[in-house]
Amino acid sequence: MTCESANSLAGAYLDEELDPSVSVQVREHLATCDSCAEALAQLGALRADIREHAPYYRAPSDLQDRIRVAVRRADRQGGGLWRWLAMAASILLAASLAWNVALRQSHSSRADTVSENIFSSHVRSLIGTHLLDVPSSNQHTVKPWFNGKLDFSPDVKDLSMQGFPLIGGRIDYVSDRPVAALVYQRRQHVINLFIWPSATPDSDTEAVRNGYHMVHWNSAGMAWWAVSDLSAGELRQFRILYEQ
Amino acid sequence: MDSPSKLLLFEQSIMPHANAAYNLARWLTRNEHDAEDIVQEAYLRAFRFFDSFHGGDGKAWLLTVVRNTCLTWRRREQSMLKVPFDEVIHSSGDVAATRETRLVERSQLGNVRDCLESLPLDFREVLVMRELEEMPYREIAAVTSLPLGTVMSRLSRARRRLQECVTERMKRAAK
Repeated sequence: MTCESANSLAGAYLDEELDPSVSVQVREHLATCDSCAEALAQLGALRADIREHAPYYRAPSDLQDRIRVAVRRADRQGGGLWRWLAMAASILLAASLAWNVALRQSHSSRADTVSENIFSSHVRSLIGTHLLDVPSSNQHTVKPWFNGKLDFSPDVKDLSMQGFPLIGGRIDYVSDRPVAALVYQRRQHVINLFIWPSATPDSDTEAVRNGYHMVHWNSAGMAWWAVSDLSAGELRQFRILYEQ
Repeated sequence: MDSPSKLLLFEQSIMPHANAAYNLARWLTRNEHDAEDIVQEAYLRAFRFFDSFHGGDGKAWLLTVVRNTCLTWRRREQSMLKVPFDEVIHSSGDVAATRETRLVERSQLGNVRDCLESLPLDFREVLVMRELEEMPYREIAAVTSLPLGTVMSRLSRARRRLQECVTERMKRAAK
């Protein structure tokens, strides 16, 4: 492979978007060509620079509220049965009902009610305004905040050095009990880590719901659920770091 | 699709992507107010045309609508202004950059953000989808209606432009 073609493929190589056979050729070329290897390193540095310094603009929460109201209004104007339902309830009540019903209808299997709960808590935390009760990246602020609010003390760890900064915590309700939810961030992805005491024997499971990955484990009398739109691999990495 | 289930399905598969929608609109318009209006309009359009969504990735589908809404919006603004909008002028003239440097120190933050903001739209959108949304080429191709190969080469050129811009600014700052 020539330097010219290696250079034109460098970006796609970095993005892991090349066919395996082409990817091998690029890798072989890089091993023998310092200037192309240097060019690739610069591309990698540029990527890190963008992800670290170019802001990811999150939708303001009042915008999200306005959208929900506008969509509901459009739906009602569309007519049908929903008009009568909507007349019966205020928009806000309808909002929370619809959301719950949606989640329940789509996953009616009883076997995994907990993972369903976890999934809906995660989604609610992202689209609503209640992601954090205690916004803090300091584990020594977050951990004591739970004192007196829960009948257990969750293990709060700062993983910012490992690329998963803590951004805070909140109390959430899962399976009719209050649980600790720790919130971590990976680039623009949010990870909710739910923790509560559980008598379930030690176990390990993984699940995917609507594109969200979940990693669940029980140990030492506690249940942990990590959920995020991160890849399964990165979420597993998070769990390993958290357990260390 | 009857109405309640349409609404429910929409809220489940499309509503969670409001951040992605806003981020793309904010980078394309370079303006928070326009971005908010566009996202709201895009959501209403998406709801109206929701029957054409056949499952799969709600994010890519929504971003297609957001992008189209941005392009329509821009055409409308231009015809109202009666001034041809020239990406070349806007990009090479560092219009956004000079405005921003008054506010932001010449920090690393200012550099890469200003540079990305000053790239022509065609380059800016693929970089935002790839680097900030972390979308695979296949999805970027779907959102932009471009062939995969074009996505690849456009990204490559976009990265080169961005790198040149950042290097240039660092040199200037060092002087």
